[in-house]
Amino acid sequence: MDKPMIEAKDVNFYYGDFHALKNISMQIEANTVTAFIGPSGCGKSTFLRLFNRMNDLIDNTRMEGICSVDGKNIYDKKINIDELRKQVGMVFQKPNPFPKSIFENVAYGLRVNNIGDKKFIAHRVETSLKAAALWDEVKDKLHQSAFQLSGGQQQRLCIARTLAIEPSVILMDEPASALDPISTSKIEELVHDLKKQYTIVIVTHNMQQAARVSDKTGFFMLGELIEFSDTKKMFLNPDKVETQNYITGKFG
Amino acid sequence: MNKKLSQQIAFSIFRIFGILVVLILMSILGFIIYNGIQVVNWEFLSTYPEEGMTSGGIFPAIVGTFYLIIGSMLFAFPLGVMSAIYTNEYAGNGWVVNFIRMMTNNLASIPSIVFGLFGMSLFVTQLKFGDSILAGSLTLGLLALPLIIRTTEEALKAVPDTYRTGSLALGATKLQTIKRVVLPSALPNILTGLILSIGRVSGETAPILFTVAAYFLPQLPSSIFDQAMALPYHLYVLATSGTDIEAARPMAYGTAFVLIVIVLIMNLTASFLRRKLEKQ
Repeated sequence: MDKPMIEAKDVNFYYGDFHALKNISMQIEANTVTAFIGPSGCGKSTFLRLFNRMNDLIDNTRMEGICSVDGKNIYDKKINIDELRKQVGMVFQKPNPFPKSIFENVAYGLRVNNIGDKKFIAHRVETSLKAAALWDEVKDKLHQSAFQLSGGQQQRLCIARTLAIEPSVILMDEPASALDPISTSKIEELVHDLKKQYTIVIVTHNMQQAARVSDKTGFFMLGELIEFSDTKKMFLNPDKVETQNYITGKFG
Repeated sequence: MNKKLSQQIAFSIFRIFGILVVLILMSILGFIIYNGIQVVNWEFLSTYPEEGMTSGGIFPAIVGTFYLIIGSMLFAFPLGVMSAIYTNEYAGNGWVVNFIRMMTNNLASIPSIVFGLFGMSLFVTQLKFGDSILAGSLTLGLLALPLIIRTTEEALKAVPDTYRTGSLALGATKLQTIKRVVLPSALPNILTGLILSIGRVSGETAPILFTVAAYFLPQLPSSIFDQAMALPYHLYVLATSGTDIEAARPMAYGTAFVLIVIVLIMNLTASFLRRKLEKQ
């Protein structure tokens, strides 16, 4: 395996006294899709949010161990968190467009990074919306409010917004759990296409979704990474009995 | 008693009290409008008091009130909004913030005459501003500060956290997030707070009593170190200490009418502005 894009080594994470992640180590290759599955509260979202340091926003938390992205230790004191979040984009569970126009939503990440060239912005907005498979639906109403879009469109807008700043990694925290089946399948197709350019990590409650979109799957339970292997193997022939039980629906 | 009947009786009682409240308000308003409208005309609004304030107009008091509104808001609005941004966006939830909040709430419940006394001893005497628009504006600003802080905090709290996380996740700094996402969506409610506090400030008498208000001035103030007349104090003077109180009574109603109209306009502007901004 080449140098991994994302690496975690002996990571422990605490919410106050609660030990939420226990000794997790993992390597994720570039240009792959990795799915995290597991019952609610197992720590998979917490683990995901380590990689763009979103957990920093929560009071009274503590992290031990090493997390690196593209060979850089992202918990180093010298790291610039805003720069990190440009490199590691995130799509949230509920679509969260800003109360701005469709255009301004996609341009936002560029503007906050002091890009003022109008032509450049317009071009990047278009390519990002195209890459997020939303362009054809919104090209005639770019300057209308993003709130007019349907939930599925809003989520693709949020993906376009993330693509516009050209991250190398995209973290997705249950990106389709608030959407209908058709929108969900659009998001899944999109994930499949985006893999060529980006490294994608996706948290999901939907096991079929994990099986459909991912190359590798990690199964979490009670803060531990029980199993991490190729998705095919995981779903056909898992090593651990816990994984087998969860996948076959014996609990969870 | 059966359930339906007792419910009907309860609702009737609520309705009667509801109507009673409205009637009381309407009769106060009606009383002022009926008595005031007889003296209010262009001359009343644009000329100085004459003949021991028993005739003429209230022009300098209107101007003075406007100066005081502008002065107090120039001081209190930026200060209040910035401190609300600090407590709500930056300071987290430690004891410092809770202490600031507690003090802000205490400040809001201090009687306005105490503000007047404080303003007199600090601004007028200690800082040697004298009885002046500056001292009065600062005193009124202090009075409005807790109201502005509280409404701004409420406005910021109403902004969904998902806007903040979404912005931060795109590499925006906290300041950029506040400037570009949080403040624009909180703006309608912040402005409502501003206008409500203008309404409050324009009607206060006690804080300006010892800090700025003049009984009568033959000319308009020419600098912020001059005294000024103001509507609420003028009303107080007309009602209590003129040369001929009975003869000045219509003037007092006229002044009250103008004051109420100003506050009413402010409140209507607030709700209009909010509705318009919310639509965008």
